Amino acid sequence: MEVHKTLDARGFACPMPIVKTKKAIEELNPGEVLEVIADDPGAKEDFPAWCEGTGHKLVKMEEKGEDIYIYIEKKGG
Amino acid sequence: MGKKLFIMVTHGPENPEMATIPFVMANAGLASDVEVSMGFQGNGVMLIKRGCAQHVFAANFPHLLELMESYVELGGKMLLCGPCVKSRNLREEDFIENAKVVNAPTFVKEVMSADTVLVY
Repeated sequence: MEVHKTLDARGFACPMPIVKTKKAIEELNPGEVLEVIADDPGAKEDFPAWCEGTGHKLVKMEEKGEDIYIYIEKKGG
Repeated sequence: MGKKLFIMVTHGPENPEMATIPFVMANAGLASDVEVSMGFQGNGVMLIKRGCAQHVFAANFPHLLELMESYVELGGKMLLCGPCVKSRNLREEDFIENAKVVNAPTFVKEVMSADTVLVY
């Protein structure tokens, strides 16, 4: 999987990680993948919910220590 | 933009948490491709007065000013209750640019055309 853009959303208070994610994904072309690094435990629920609501595809989520790596494919690809 | 969310805010700067949470939900809505309008009644209108939001902060949330700027940037609308504005001796020019002073019929239209209404 090729990552086209990375967003470091660590340390941002709710709802800014999802606001930044929306802006970041707007800069991608359909089918391209955004990598988001989050450190809020709620991210494990929030990002799948956001993908379900917006139609973007959640490709993968991985926990690495305190951080959660989320891979989202922009819809329309 | 398919779905529409309307959020009514009735708390002002005297309750920073209840003033902030509606803007959190509004930003999350816009970020989720939901169309969002916010209404302000009672002391809620004070939040939109120029110079107010920078003084409102609730622990573990972004500053209200940051949320308000983000909300406007993402295309959110803000409607202020006319009588509530008048009774505080304020006028439309006392509020930030994107806010409109309206009356009950506009709120009724907004509420009835929304898929979901949240009241804070």
